[in-house]
Amino acid sequence: MSSRSVQYTSSPLLASKTPIWRSQFIVAVIAAGFLGLVARAAYVQVIDNAFFKRQGTVRFVRTLDLPANRGRILDRHGNILASSVPVPSIWANPEDIERDPAKLKALAKLLAMSSADLDKKLQDEDKTFVWLKRQVDESVAKDIAALKIKGVYDRKEYKRIYPEGESVAHVVGFTNVENLGQEGVELTFNKALGGKAGSRRVIKDRLGRVVEDIGEMVPPVDGEDLQLSIDSKVQYFAYEKIKESVVTNKAVAGSVVVLDVKTGEVLALVNYPSYSPGKRGNLSGAQLRNRALTDTFEPGSTMKPLVVGLALEKGIVKPETLIQTAPGKLQMGTATITDAHPHGVLSVNEVIQKSSNVGTVKIALQMQPHDMWEMFTQVGLGQKPQVPFPGAVAGKVRAYKTWRPIEQATMSYGYGLSASLFQLAQAYTVFAHDGEMVPMSLVKTNQAVASGARVLSVQNATAIRNMLHMVTIQGGTAPKAQTMGYSVGGKTGTAHKVEGKGYASKKYRGFFVGIAPIDNPRIVVAVMVDEPTNGAYFGGDVAAPVFSQTVQQTLRMMGVQPDMAVKPQVMTKVEKESF
Amino acid sequence: MSRLSFLLMIAVMASALYLVRTQYESRSLTTEIDRATSLARNLETENDRLDVERRAQATPLRVEKLAREQLHMRTITPAITQYATVSGAAASAPAEIRP
Repeated sequence: MSSRSVQYTSSPLLASKTPIWRSQFIVAVIAAGFLGLVARAAYVQVIDNAFFKRQGTVRFVRTLDLPANRGRILDRHGNILASSVPVPSIWANPEDIERDPAKLKALAKLLAMSSADLDKKLQDEDKTFVWLKRQVDESVAKDIAALKIKGVYDRKEYKRIYPEGESVAHVVGFTNVENLGQEGVELTFNKALGGKAGSRRVIKDRLGRVVEDIGEMVPPVDGEDLQLSIDSKVQYFAYEKIKESVVTNKAVAGSVVVLDVKTGEVLALVNYPSYSPGKRGNLSGAQLRNRALTDTFEPGSTMKPLVVGLALEKGIVKPETLIQTAPGKLQMGTATITDAHPHGVLSVNEVIQKSSNVGTVKIALQMQPHDMWEMFTQVGLGQKPQVPFPGAVAGKVRAYKTWRPIEQATMSYGYGLSASLFQLAQAYTVFAHDGEMVPMSLVKTNQAVASGARVLSVQNATAIRNMLHMVTIQGGTAPKAQTMGYSVGGKTGTAHKVEGKGYASKKYRGFFVGIAPIDNPRIVVAVMVDEPTNGAYFGGDVAAPVFSQTVQQTLRMMGVQPDMAVKPQVMTKVEKESF
Repeated sequence: MSRLSFLLMIAVMASALYLVRTQYESRSLTTEIDRATSLARNLETENDRLDVERRAQATPLRVEKLAREQLHMRTITPAITQYATVSGAAASAPAEIRP
């Protein structure tokens, strides 16, 4: 059998029945596919590269906020008056919260809210974040975590703590839940205390760990610590004493201001009623008011030393000049100026000691309204005090051109103008600082002695101090201001409260502004008791005792040696040391 | 020539692997640093918290209460105080109450 060789390639059996263009077509399609890939690659990597880079970044790069710590507020000895500590805040994700009624009921109980309120918060299922309660106690947060409710979480937030509580509440103020100052120093120095949050861009891995830093980190700038001039011990003591006085005299309120006359620093500024800055439920306006700075009143007799000081400075009178105050009345047009008791002939010293209205008016009427106005202005009346406090008021001193003679007369004994207790204390530093008006400061100054504008000569300031001292000794209006060991001087004031258009007949304000020790003054203390209703209402009776105790303790704490003889009651015998 | 290429390729591979390793190390170190920093921060805030707590235990209100009630102390007055002067010769003299 002859074999016929069959060529494989030309085997008719294997001959493709499909036309050649089909294989060519496939090759072309695959080639086009590759071209498409190349084009896509070019698009992704070159043309729209930025978009894809951004999308990538969004998936693994996170920007972390680096919160800044709010600065602390310290007293003059470095004791903490306010500081921030982290506390848990509870939040929930309504979208995927586990709605187990029993657990939610337990949660509501722990959060001290009703189940209805809690349901209301969790109502909106479109939300992914809702605060349940901010700044809860650590133990509450632990109990909530123990409930293991899905969709309920906690997060650390900073909360302000005020360890001193009520006594410094008005000075320090408080912050809101967002850590922004709302009152007092917290508000005034909010910017410096707050600091500036920083940020950091990082890559996080699957487990949420930071694995790489990207770019520059913006470090957080912590808020600065603020050291006040306040002495927390003096502050506490003054608060306790004014509280005691307000309670025993059945008064509405009271305030005390203690100033260091050498440096112009505010050592204490207290008001009662007060509040606890950490617990601010049901606060009333009466509790919140920083009365020493926001309440103005007619300063009454406490103005007399200023007027007499000016008269000495202008050479109109000398401390020994005699003035006829009999018969205790002075007619000016239709108005009559009267003294509580007729005194007859008094020296200028005694006019202050006995607080004679007639005597003061007779001196004042020899002066120019302009001079009086200038004196008032120089000692800070009618102007906002320099201490930076929200709500501090300027009081009222009208322009001297509008003064009628009767107004000039009443102003000399403190009616027809108004001032806050702080302004009165500040005005008295002029006598205490040998005639200079030192600028006041609420922040620790670290200087030994401040200097200021001269208002009175040293000699005249000393003369006025002598008169103020006479007020507190036998024959004066405020013997209750005396304190053991230290010589004091000051002036009482009692003013009818203004109600509507006139004076309320049975509502008074008793106050006392004084200096101690009188020969080498260290502090000015001003005390005000508002509406005492338990019988006594004179400044000499309700305010002077608070002054006396505050002076005693403050000077002791400042290490000032007594300048008056004290009958020692020390039991131990002192042995002579050998040399 | 081909041997050189081969060697270079090996070198490139080694370098690439080494890079991956370094990157990995750097990342785990970053994690460590991050953990340490947050620990430091936590300790700092804890310190602040304890400072506040310590102060809260030593407020004048509490001190006075304890002194009065538990230790039966009383408020000091100049009458029961000995004043000592610490300047020059007076320093060695016995303390005395000024007249």
